[in-house]
Amino acid sequence: MKNILLKFFLVFAVFFPVELVAEEKNYHKELITDWSRIFPDKNRNAAGPKFFKYIIDKKITYKDFIEFNKLYCAVSGSLIDPGSDSEFLFIKENKTNNKICGNYYRCCVPCSCDIMKYSEVQKMKYKFIDGLREFYVITIKNPCNKNDFPNRVNKEYFCDGKKINSDQVYNLNNRIVIGLLHNGRTCKNDDIDLVKNHEITGRYCELRNNTPLEELDAGMGDIFIKLAR
Amino acid sequence: MFIKKVNYLYKFLIIFSLILPINISRAEFFKDISNIITINESRLSYGVSVTDINSDGNNEFIVTGFGYPNLALGYIDGKLKNIIQEDVFLDRDRKTISVAACDIDKDGFEEIYFLNTDTYSGTKKYSDRIIDKSNNNYFDLFELKKNIENLNLTAGRSVVCVDRKGDGEYGIYVANYGGPTRFYEIENNTITDKAKTLNLDKVTGGRAVVSGHILTDRADIFAANERGANFLLKNNDGKFEDVAFDYRVDDVIQNGRGTALSDIYYRGRLDILSGNWNGYHRAYVLENNEFKDIGNKAFDRPSRIRTIISADFDNDGFDEVFMNNIAEPNKLFKINENGKFEEIKLKTALETQGFGTGAAVADIDNDGILELLVSHGESKAQPLTLYKAKVDKNNKYLRIKPINKFGAPARGATVTLISNQRKHSKTIDAGSGYLCQMEPVAHYGIRKNEKEFRIEVKWTNGKKVFIDKIKLNQTITIKQK
Repeated sequence: MKNILLKFFLVFAVFFPVELVAEEKNYHKELITDWSRIFPDKNRNAAGPKFFKYIIDKKITYKDFIEFNKLYCAVSGSLIDPGSDSEFLFIKENKTNNKICGNYYRCCVPCSCDIMKYSEVQKMKYKFIDGLREFYVITIKNPCNKNDFPNRVNKEYFCDGKKINSDQVYNLNNRIVIGLLHNGRTCKNDDIDLVKNHEITGRYCELRNNTPLEELDAGMGDIFIKLAR
Repeated sequence: MFIKKVNYLYKFLIIFSLILPINISRAEFFKDISNIITINESRLSYGVSVTDINSDGNNEFIVTGFGYPNLALGYIDGKLKNIIQEDVFLDRDRKTISVAACDIDKDGFEEIYFLNTDTYSGTKKYSDRIIDKSNNNYFDLFELKKNIENLNLTAGRSVVCVDRKGDGEYGIYVANYGGPTRFYEIENNTITDKAKTLNLDKVTGGRAVVSGHILTDRADIFAANERGANFLLKNNDGKFEDVAFDYRVDDVIQNGRGTALSDIYYRGRLDILSGNWNGYHRAYVLENNEFKDIGNKAFDRPSRIRTIISADFDNDGFDEVFMNNIAEPNKLFKINENGKFEEIKLKTALETQGFGTGAAVADIDNDGILELLVSHGESKAQPLTLYKAKVDKNNKYLRIKPINKFGAPARGATVTLISNQRKHSKTIDAGSGYLCQMEPVAHYGIRKNEKEFRIEVKWTNGKKVFIDKIKLNQTITIKQK
């Protein structure tokens, strides 16, 4: 009898499309829906940290956290289309100066260069609804003391006076978390060679990162750099 | 032993069929009846409205023409024929894209607002028209000398009728693009723009607009905009307050197109469908003073959406949502209980090569089944198409036609069918879809084993009347006292 039922089930499953599982979350739609909550003044310039804070404040699983963090650019604050490719690159670790390799989801090519030059990564632990996890986050130093704080960035998003505004952005050891380095790990020699010889992270970034700030005209250009340098 | 096995299998089959939602392909939903449209040439059309333009008791489809004549298609001897030939109505030289009809002067006749647009944004060359009728002659109220100073010379998109005071005196909300929104009413016998005094004169990329009992017992407005936040305009004693952000329907970085009011949960209130151009389509239901988007992945999938319509095409007692896409296949969804959207795969009315620009529903032949008229144009001249659902002969219907105290269709009123199975609200359409307006009738198909019918009509002033002892398969006209 069990065999008959098993065969019946298999035949049925093959011939009729059946919705057995709950619908997957639409992370992109959720970010779009809540965009005006994340940016009440509609200014998202260099506001990757606002996305990170919004995401980590949600009651979500680690998988949700990973997926949400693929959908915005930590440098520009732009949304990224679902299914977009990431850049494999390295960023210096704040404590050790080691190169940490991983994947960075960006809106456009120059952002990969800016993130490599002007940010650092830190290890972070966080308890999600499915448990405690450790991962690498991308951070910038506290920009709130700057005299040349970029005027196209909403300073209130980042700063409470000269302190980091922890209500608006995530403060990790007095640095602002601007995004997630996906699959972060200590680089191997081959990884570093790969990044340095890559068309974008190698040749293009070398050119961009040696261009004077006043001559930059691609990506978020001077806005993020002024904030992060 | 054998009987035991059969019993076991039988139980298994029952449980299996109950637990699993199965997408078994259905029979074709629509039939194409476009052949009943006489003189159906390729043309550039946009919005479609439904009103009784010749006051004969039957509605006509009013079809706009963009450099082509406007049409009033009436059902005569089994055919849809244009019944108006007067130049001011046909208006071949202007480019009409949107249309809505309502009684703005309280004489019982629905004036027709034609929105003309000869530029994408900002200042335009030709104004709009408001077609009225006197002694069976049609004329344009905007051409009267006293009204000329209030012409709308800004590019616009949709228009909607709003009885903001609930007294049967309709105003017209004009969703302009790149210029201030206008709100026309008759004051001292003159067409007057009251947008500023009513807090409506905002500049945005106006696209689609609906009005009805969304939040209050008066006519509220939902405007789906492009390159800016949507508006949800709450009626505060005849003036308006934008509460879109608070109610979470602002959808700032999406580009609004078609919108419609629909009782998505069959719970006796009007919620909002909002289609976004190449963005996520929304099925907003009000929960705890915020609208929550409950559209599933199939429903919200981005498309080149234009008009969106909620109606019961097949008289099964559940509404369908028709999504008219331009240069992309149309879609149809059934709204099941608890707001579950189920896609109905189309062949007829799919219009893979169709440049759909507008659509409206009406029971134009008075047989108790809705017809769906789809207009086409923009980048390609195409004929109109007309569809009708293949309806089970046993399905019954009930149509409710509320008439206000001036004898005009009570657009913006809400009709609710209450039975042993549902409490189902429908708006008397004041303007919806994209650039369009549906027939001013609440059309209900009847569910299997449904009984104990009662009808509630909430007028535009918030007052209610109830009707009991209802016979099915008829149109009931309810007059406001």
